[in-house]
Amino acid sequence: MSAQSHMTTQIIKRGGKRASEPFKRAKLYASIIAACRSVRSPEGQAEATANSVCDAVCAWLASKPEVTGDDLRRKAAETLHEYHPEAAYLYKQHRLVI
Amino acid sequence: MIHSFAIIIFAALIHTSFQLSVSMLTLLSSHAIGKKTATAKLLRLTNMFSLGVAIMTMLLLSFIALLLQHSFAGPVPAIVWAASCGLLIGLGVAVWAFYYRRESGTSLWIPRSVARYVSQRTKATKSSAEAFSLGMSSVVGEIIFMLAPMVIAALVLIQFEPLWQLVGIALYVFISLLSLMVVNGLIGSGHKISQIQRWRETNKRFVQFAAGSGLLILGFYVYVYQVLGVTALAPGWL
Repeated sequence: MSAQSHMTTQIIKRGGKRASEPFKRAKLYASIIAACRSVRSPEGQAEATANSVCDAVCAWLASKPEVTGDDLRRKAAETLHEYHPEAAYLYKQHRLVI
Repeated sequence: MIHSFAIIIFAALIHTSFQLSVSMLTLLSSHAIGKKTATAKLLRLTNMFSLGVAIMTMLLLSFIALLLQHSFAGPVPAIVWAASCGLLIGLGVAVWAFYYRRESGTSLWIPRSVARYVSQRTKATKSSAEAFSLGMSSVVGEIIFMLAPMVIAALVLIQFEPLWQLVGIALYVFISLLSLMVVNGLIGSGHKISQIQRWRETNKRFVQFAAGSGLLILGFYVYVYQVLGVTALAPGWL
């Protein structure tokens, strides 16, 4: 059900300059798993965490026709914090390093 | 001679407190580890990045020194020392005021569009050659702030014999790389990037204060030592 609904959720890009795009679970999964690996999490834990975060975000998106990229990122970071605070910190810092 | 080397060391210490290269190295390592890059390749990338920074710092310092050496046949005029001190003091105040942005994280003063471009280039870096050129560009990217300590070091260097000039350049480059070497060492020894970034975020105001204060102190010191000192010793001053 949720998988069907979030298929249509559009992600509005930062600043609205680039065209919006449909939500892609694989893209979110890759970013979460990269954050977990960056804090040297074991591979199995990284995969489990990424799956849990993706499930929670998909459920959140189910009722929303469109969200901004920043909102999606904020929600993902919030959820990731419950499973892996260290990885969540790095995930949030990603755009604030430089 | 000791005074001159003290100025070079202090200028290099100020240089090492500037953070663009460290930020880029942190981001580069974070992405490389996130992409399951082998440790040997990760170290190759970070080492090549640091080498790029070292080479560019050396080239810039040598270029500035050469330029100044050709500009002044004899001793450096007091007006040039005074202007350089003004540059140091001005930049010191600028560092205090806006080196870090007033937001969470370690966002620097550079325009956001440039920061996004630099982040994208850093993320896309896969080969050693790319890491090397990225290291070189990180020095150019922060040249506005690095120029002042480099000019002062170059003004001191051109008064040395050629051999001591080389020693001075090597010393400056080595000390200016200290922060990068520490981060490189921490990454190589398996520390988490999040720990490094957290330390940087927690201490960013102190680093900003230290860099700004360092520039001001160096400016006043050089002014007293090179401008007032020379003027006071000039014939007919009293």
